[in-house]
Amino acid sequence: MTSLEELTVELRERLARVREGGSEAARKKHTDRGKLLPRERVDRLLDPGSPFLEIAPLAAFGMYGKEGDDYAVPSAGVIAGIGRVEGRECLVLANDATVKGGTYYPMTVKKHLRAQTIAAENHLPCIYLVDSGGAFLPMQDDVFPDKEHFGRIFFNQANMSAKRIPQLAAVMGSCTAGGAYVPAMSDETVIVRNQGTIFLGGPPLVKAATGEVVTAEELGGGDVHARTSGVVDHLAEDDAHALQILRGIVGTLPEGRLDTASPGGSAYSTTEAFDVEEPHEPPESLYDVVPASTRTPYDVREVIRRLVDGSRLQEFKQLYGETLVCGFAKIHGYPVGIVANNGILFSESSLKGAHFVELCNQRGIPLLFLQNITGFMVGKDYENRGIARDGAKLVTAVACSVVPKLTVVIGGSFGAGNYGMCGRAYDPRFLWMWPNARISVMGGDQAANVLATVAGREDDPDVEEFKAPIREQYETQGSPYYATARLWDDGVIDPADTRRVLGMALAVTANAPVPEPSYGIFRM
Amino acid sequence: MVSTSSTTGTIKSVYIANRGEIARRIARTCDRLGIRAVAGTDSFLDPAAQVAAAVAAGADAVHPGYGFLSENAGFARAVAAAGLTWIGPMPEVIERMGRKDAAREIAAAAGVPVVPTGASAGSATDLFPVLVKAAAGGGGKGMRIVRTAAELDEAVAAAGREAKAAFGDDTILIEKYVERGRHIEVQLLGDTHGTVIHMGTRECSVQRRHQKVIEEAPAPGLDDDLLEQMHDAAVRLGKAVQYTNAGTVEFLLDADTGDFYFLEMNTRLQVEHRVTELYTGVDLVHLQLEVASGRPIDLGPDPFFYGSSIEARIYAEDAWHGFLPQAGRASLVRWPEATVVDHDLVSGQVVSTAFDPMLGKVVVHGDDRETARLALVQALDDTVILGLTTNVGFLRQLAASEEFATPGTIDTAWLDRTEPTPPDPAPARELAALLWQQAHAPTTGPFAADGFRIGGPPAPVRVDFEDGSVTLPGGHAPGTAGGAGRMTSAIVTAHGVELSHHGQRYVFERPDAAADHGMEAGDGTVVAPMPGTVLDVRVAEGHTVAAGDVLGVVEAMKMELALKAPYDGVVTAVMAVTGRQVALGDALFTVEAIDD
Repeated sequence: MTSLEELTVELRERLARVREGGSEAARKKHTDRGKLLPRERVDRLLDPGSPFLEIAPLAAFGMYGKEGDDYAVPSAGVIAGIGRVEGRECLVLANDATVKGGTYYPMTVKKHLRAQTIAAENHLPCIYLVDSGGAFLPMQDDVFPDKEHFGRIFFNQANMSAKRIPQLAAVMGSCTAGGAYVPAMSDETVIVRNQGTIFLGGPPLVKAATGEVVTAEELGGGDVHARTSGVVDHLAEDDAHALQILRGIVGTLPEGRLDTASPGGSAYSTTEAFDVEEPHEPPESLYDVVPASTRTPYDVREVIRRLVDGSRLQEFKQLYGETLVCGFAKIHGYPVGIVANNGILFSESSLKGAHFVELCNQRGIPLLFLQNITGFMVGKDYENRGIARDGAKLVTAVACSVVPKLTVVIGGSFGAGNYGMCGRAYDPRFLWMWPNARISVMGGDQAANVLATVAGREDDPDVEEFKAPIREQYETQGSPYYATARLWDDGVIDPADTRRVLGMALAVTANAPVPEPSYGIFRM
Repeated sequence: MVSTSSTTGTIKSVYIANRGEIARRIARTCDRLGIRAVAGTDSFLDPAAQVAAAVAAGADAVHPGYGFLSENAGFARAVAAAGLTWIGPMPEVIERMGRKDAAREIAAAAGVPVVPTGASAGSATDLFPVLVKAAAGGGGKGMRIVRTAAELDEAVAAAGREAKAAFGDDTILIEKYVERGRHIEVQLLGDTHGTVIHMGTRECSVQRRHQKVIEEAPAPGLDDDLLEQMHDAAVRLGKAVQYTNAGTVEFLLDADTGDFYFLEMNTRLQVEHRVTELYTGVDLVHLQLEVASGRPIDLGPDPFFYGSSIEARIYAEDAWHGFLPQAGRASLVRWPEATVVDHDLVSGQVVSTAFDPMLGKVVVHGDDRETARLALVQALDDTVILGLTTNVGFLRQLAASEEFATPGTIDTAWLDRTEPTPPDPAPARELAALLWQQAHAPTTGPFAADGFRIGGPPAPVRVDFEDGSVTLPGGHAPGTAGGAGRMTSAIVTAHGVELSHHGQRYVFERPDAAADHGMEAGDGTVVAPMPGTVLDVRVAEGHTVAAGDVLGVVEAMKMELALKAPYDGVVTAVMAVTGRQVALGDALFTVEAIDD
């Protein structure tokens, strides 16, 4: 079994590769036109030195390419993340035109929508750096028609704008067909002269449709839109100037939270990020305390003490339901209620978890789930005593929870344990995986056994031949890279970065108000 | 001879007929001696008003400082006539030495070398090179340098014609021309008992258009023999005119031959008297008060002639842009500690071009000249004036230059023929970036500005300014970087950094994010902003225009609207015709940008 550190090295290599973007030729062509590469655009949009909490950089990993080509569409052709602009946390979305012209693959759409969801949930101004040819036409059926497809992007823009969440765009390249609506639907829009174009139909389409021969610049260039059509509001000389204008626009937004007219602080009290006591162990020591295999048990408190301020955890019900560790701590000064698996979920641990989640909601304290769960305990005894009933209480509490929830899958994420521990379906504000994580409805062995039993082949001499492909499928699909490629998470992170990432996320979630809690029926 | 110096004894109250740093400097000595110093009131050029103010203030003596009325014999007489003590030489001496031709004759008579002249072309043959100039002249008119006898007749004739035309007088003077002249002067002090002593030399060769920039005492690189000759000559002249109080004899030293010539005598305290004070350890103002009170010169046990002292004059001028006078509010002023600074400038003060542009002087002393020079560099590094541009950075560069470090290499024309090169702004810009980050970027917390990126190396921290960008290494938040602050004082705002680095003031502005340069980005067609009539067309095709230049004027709705060039460029088309009606949006001019 490969160690956690080795798995992390592999993660960093993969991240380094996707950060290059498209092919060298495509990048050269891009920069030869005087355009900045998308990551450079992001860097220069952000405040000098601002950290960037990138979302799903490995989206579309291993998809869309020939066998063995994991990097056909790096980062799904769009860079998304959160950084500070003029001191304010903003969501930035930048098309990468060096990747298939910045066209939208199914995962590009999914990532774009996921980023918008993050912005909507956390009240982050959205800044779109548009440089895209629109939908990837060969896969139009997976991109265009459905609810969570291309059209949803503009639906989200309209509705976020309605919620006072600024929608800002800079057109830094093509912005064709459906894509034209990104700037058009934005509150304020910038275009780069002699570079950005916006039109519903490009020159070839126009010629085909009406016979009119027109250049891209005449049809929908910067001057046209800034002076004649009014589709954009600001005309920029070049990329750098466009980014400057965007910074200026963000600088004019009223200070404080977006949901209130009056300046307000964070959604919950913090000790401010000053004079925060670091954990007593360095973050890198996580590599040593966490076994690479999800089968090897260890005390999750060793993880917690490497994540929280001063390695201090105020444990709740330490002596009850011991397979679930619950407690209060701070991360970068932000209070947080931690729910961490320390074994299988039993009735007691489920009840304890439900109680603790209620506590956090009552107090307005964000929740952090550290997921390493093979599932709820099974067997006659447990079923008869109603473990499903107690599990349901935990799931209900988590589902109805109104405080921000953050989930990190630090090991296994199997079965109903995923639900009780705030898996993707439970709307955590963010969900990350460690490179050692595994995720599937059950383990590969269990699935193979169950399916063999169902097929009545458990006693076949060649049952192994039956089971092997099932195990292999689960092995492949349980990988965190398989998961992150499909946006089941917001990224695979280096365990050593976890504390920093959580701190940023907590700061980000504080931008949105926390409503009053209310719950469904707890089955008693 | 009428003695105008009161000999009635101790001075108790001094009226200072001056302002600025010299007024403060005089007052300081008075304070030390327990003498009341009365600050002068305005109208420093009006003798009657000054005397009246001194009398009204109950002063018993008047110190004129330098400039203004300091060399005005009439003022000296008026002071004495009012029964007050004049702290300076006798009016007759001021008068006689104030006329250059008379002073030259007195010097020659006293055996002090003067610049050789020839009354005619024939008598000048052994002087070459010579300067041919109009006797009535000024401003360089009719002036020419002649190096050989063959050229002389022609030059005299030509100069005569020019002089005739310019001044109506074709009298020509021919005098020896010193190719490389150094300005060396000797400080004199005389008392009413007939004693005249010298207090060593000063060199003031670093000057620009006769405005002294850096002065030092003693004049460096001269052998003892020559120094003694100059001292003696100065004292001889002082004695010849029965000089009292402080005065200065200026010489022109031929750097190539070692010959020196009398130039003129200044019958007052000089701006640069401070270097003599540091070099000799005496207080010249104190001595002025003593001899004005009629007491004999007594230098006491003070050390005499030790080490080297250098003074740099701080002017409100932009040395890198034609020494243009500067004005503004000195938002932050920090004078160097551990050295002598005479100034009258504090933070918040407004500097106007209406006054003398000298803001102060920084004076250092060292055990030898090199030590003093390095101390001057350090002192100028530590001099901070923000809010307006000064010559501190220029002085710092001068003081650090190889030429200045080598004694005797600088002549009085050196600065005029040397084009100053501004220092490279890059190091200052880097400091500005760091300071800006420290002031504005979060240094702690999850959003600390360390360029954090998940699972990868930190992004470089790029700080853009209007005139260039700085990339700081990522990986640590500002504040932990260190290094900034040394040799720096700065005003940091959200919009930029103004700082002093090696004495040079820099203003680095962050790109104005709020500014929308849409106009600049536009095409170059200037259209009628309203329907109306073309009143004026001011350019033609092919004209080069700068952004904002008025191309023409349209009258519409009783308003005259100026049509301006959107950016620097060339007018490529003029459609506007004076008097013609135009409709909204009619193209009137086209300007094409000049590509860089």
